Amino acid sequence: MTTVISTRGLEKRFGRTIALDGLDFSVDAGEIHGFLGPNGAGKSTTIRILLGLARASSGEATLFGRDPWADAADLHKRVAYVPGDVAIWPNFTGGEAIDLLTRLRGGMTDKAAYRDRKQRLLDVFQLDPRKKGRAYSKGNRQKVALVAAFATPADLYVLDEPTSGLDPLMEQVFNREIDHVAREGATVLLSSHILSEVEALCDRVTIIRAGKVVESGTLAELRHLTRTEIAFVHDPAKEAGVTALPDTHDLVIDEGRVRFTVDSDRVADVLPDLGRLGVQGLTVAPPSLEDLFLRHYGDELAPVEEEARA
Amino acid sequence: MTRLMVLLRQRIRRDRLQLALWIVGIAVLAYASMTAVFDTYGEEQDRKEILGVAIATRTILVFRGTPNGVDDGAFAFFLLFAWLALMGGLMSTFLAVRHTRKEEEEGRAEAVAATPAGRILPTTATVVHGVLANVVLGLLLALALIASGLEPGGSFVWGVAIMVSGFAFLAFGLFAAQLFRTSRGANSLSVTFVLAAYLLRGIGDAAGTPSEDLLHVTPAWPSWLSPIGYGQFTGAYVENDLTPLLIPLAFAAVLIGVVFALQSVRDQGASLLAGRAGRSNAGPVLSSSFGLAWRLNTPILLSWTAGGIATGLLATSLSPVVNQAATDAPQVLEILRRAIGSEASIEETFVALFYSIVGILAACCAVQVGIRARQEEVHGTAELVLGTPVPRLRWLLEYWIVGVIVIAIVLAASALAGIAGAGSAADPESLIPAVLEAALAQLPACLVFLGLTLLVFAFVPRATIPVGWTVVGVAAILGVWGPILQAPDWVIDLSPFHHSPVPAGGETDWTGGFWMLAIGLAAGAVAVWSMRRRELASGG
Repeated sequence: MTTVISTRGLEKRFGRTIALDGLDFSVDAGEIHGFLGPNGAGKSTTIRILLGLARASSGEATLFGRDPWADAADLHKRVAYVPGDVAIWPNFTGGEAIDLLTRLRGGMTDKAAYRDRKQRLLDVFQLDPRKKGRAYSKGNRQKVALVAAFATPADLYVLDEPTSGLDPLMEQVFNREIDHVAREGATVLLSSHILSEVEALCDRVTIIRAGKVVESGTLAELRHLTRTEIAFVHDPAKEAGVTALPDTHDLVIDEGRVRFTVDSDRVADVLPDLGRLGVQGLTVAPPSLEDLFLRHYGDELAPVEEEARA
Repeated sequence: MTRLMVLLRQRIRRDRLQLALWIVGIAVLAYASMTAVFDTYGEEQDRKEILGVAIATRTILVFRGTPNGVDDGAFAFFLLFAWLALMGGLMSTFLAVRHTRKEEEEGRAEAVAATPAGRILPTTATVVHGVLANVVLGLLLALALIASGLEPGGSFVWGVAIMVSGFAFLAFGLFAAQLFRTSRGANSLSVTFVLAAYLLRGIGDAAGTPSEDLLHVTPAWPSWLSPIGYGQFTGAYVENDLTPLLIPLAFAAVLIGVVFALQSVRDQGASLLAGRAGRSNAGPVLSSSFGLAWRLNTPILLSWTAGGIATGLLATSLSPVVNQAATDAPQVLEILRRAIGSEASIEETFVALFYSIVGILAACCAVQVGIRARQEEVHGTAELVLGTPVPRLRWLLEYWIVGVIVIAIVLAASALAGIAGAGSAADPESLIPAVLEAALAQLPACLVFLGLTLLVFAFVPRATIPVGWTVVGVAAILGVWGPILQAPDWVIDLSPFHHSPVPAGGETDWTGGFWMLAIGLAAGAVAVWSMRRRELASGG
C-alpha cells in the first residue's frame, strides 16, 4: 500500500500563534480519509501546507512522496482541491469558472468526455452555470468548486469542509460522487466537523485539536475507545437482576426503558446475562463520532485558538 | 416618527466618517483652490487673458465652466463650480445606492423590512439622509468660500446650487437602485449619469455664444439637460438668480415620487430590469492563467485607455488654437509659457505637458494591475488558481507581463490619438515625432510604478492597495505640480515622473529614462523572484 499523504512533526506558526504543533498523520492510496476537528484546530492550515499554498515552519510533509512546496505545480496535476471558503470570480459565470479551472488542470484533452461529465454534474448538483459569480449563494459557490473538482479525474481529492453550505439532499449527491471517485481508485482527504458525513464515507479518520493529532485509525479501531449503549424495556420484576450486571456504566431507568453503557469490547460478555433475564425490545447502539468528539472536547468548552488562517 | 429617527441615526452613524471626508474634502478643496487662484490670477489683466484663451480654445471650457466676467467671485465660479458639483453628485449617488440596493443585495434590507419599519420607511430615511448631507455640504461650502474672501451673497447662491444639483443626483441614484438587481449596476449607471451631466454642460459651454469682449459665454442647449448646467445658470456673484434651480428641484421631486411608486409595488430584492443570464461555457481567452490575468484587467485597461486617448487628442488638436491665440495676443503666449515653464516651441511644450498626464494615467493603470493581483489573493480566487498546476512564480510574472502590455497599450493609444488630432495643426509632420517621443518617454516611469507595486505585493501584501495608490498619487502631484508649487528640488526629485525625458526638438535627454527603465525592471524581477519563498497571504 503506497502512502499518498504523510506528515511528520509538522509545525506552523503565525507570529506567536501556533497553528500546527507537531502534526503526524498519513493517508494511504485509495483511502477515504476523514480529517476531523473543531474550528481552529488547524485543518485548513494543514491542507494549505499539503497544497504548497503555505510553508511549514518545521517538520516534514509529503504528497505522493514529494515536497508539496517545491513541487507544487507539478503535484497539482494529480490533485483536485475544493477550498473551505469557496470564492469565485464575481464577474464570471459559474460555467466560465468551471471551464477555466478545468483547463488550468489540463482536463480538456478529451472535450466531448469533459462536456458530458460537466453536464452530468451540473444536473445532479442542480447548478445553473449561467449566473454570475456574485449572484451565487455560499452553497452554490461550493457547488461550482465541487463540479470543477469532479469534472476532471484526479488521483487525490482534497476537500476542505465541502458540504458546509449544502442542503441534506445535495449532501447525498456529494456522497455518491465521493463513492464514484473512490471506486475509480482515487484517494480522498475530507476535512469536516460534520460527523455523520465522515462516518458514512470514510475508511479512516484522523482527529486533530490545537494543531495535534489526538486519534487516528479506522472507525472500528476508534470505537474500541468508547462505550456501546444498550437499552431495553423496563420490567420492575427484573430490576434486581439488571443492577447486578457486571461492567455496566451510567445506568438509568427512564420512560419505561433501561439504559446503560458497556465498554465496546465487553458487549459480547453482557449479552448472555441479558438473555437469561429475558429482556424485551433490546437495542445495541454503536457509539457515534459525536461520542468520540464529546469524549475529546466535551470537557473543554473553553475557547480554542483562533482559526489560524492568516 | 421614532422609527424614522432610528433608521436615520443608523445611516448617519454608519456614514459619519465617509461623509465627513467627502463634505470637508470638497469644502477644503474649494478654499485651497480659491487661495491659489487669487495668487496666480490676482490681476484683472491676467484673468482677461486666460478667459480669452479659454473662450478661444473652447475645449478648456469643457473642463471649467461658463465665463461670466473677471470679478473675484464670478471668475472662481467659472473655474470651480462644475468640478465641485461633479464631486457632490458622486457623493450623493454613492450614498443613495449604498443605503438601498447594496443593503438589499447583502440581505440586510430584508431583516429591516421584517421589522415594523417595513419596506418603504428605509427609503424615506435614505432620502432624508441624502438631503441632509447635501444641505450640510452646501452650507459648509458657502462658509469656506466666504472664508476665502468671497462675497457672502454669491457664496450662498453657489452653496444652494451645489445642494440642489446634489438633490437631483441623489434622486437619480435612488432611481438607478430601483432599476438594477446589483449595487454595481446601479452605481455604474448613476456614475455615468453624473459624468454625462458634467460633460453635457461642458459641451453647452464650449458650443455657447461668446460675448463681444470675450469675457462672457451664453451656454448652448446641452446645458439645459444637466443639473450642473442649471447650477451655472444662477450666475453666482453676478446675477445671483436662484430661479433656474427650480428645474433640477422639480426633477428630483418627480424622480423621488417615481422611486416610491416603484418601491411600493415591487418585491423585496426584485428589480425593474432582470439580471441577464451569462454564458455557460468559458470563451477561448479563459484557457490559461495568463488569459485569466488579462481578462481580469481588461475593464481597467479600457477605462485608462479612454483617458489616454482623450488626453492625446487634446494635446495636438489644441495646437492651432494655441498658435492662433499666441499670434493674436502675444501676452497670452507669455501666460502659457509661464504656466508650462519651458522655452521649447509652444506646440511642443503643449504636447509634452499633455503627455506627462498620459504618463500618469498609464502608471495608474499599471498600479491597478498590481492591485488586482492582491485583490485576487484577498478574495480567495488566487487560491483556486494556485491549487491547479500554475506555479506561484509564473502567476505573478503573468501579472507583470499584463502590466507591461497595458502600459504599452495606453501609451500607444494616446500616441495614435495625438497623431489623429495633429491633422488640424499648421505643420502636422513636425508634431508627429514630438508626439511619439513624448509617449515613449513615459514608459520608464510607468515600469517603475508597476515594479514598485508588485514589490510591495511580494513583501508587504497587506499594504499593496494603500501604498500603490499613495505612491503614484504623491509622485503625480510632485512631478507635475511640484515645480509650480515651488517645492524643494530634492522632494521633486523623488518623483519618477520628474525624471521622464522631455522631448525638446531632437535633443532629448534620455538619461533619466534609462535609469528608471533599469530600476523598474529590477523591481519587477525581484518581486517575481520572491514568489519562490512567498506563501499565499489571504488575510485582509
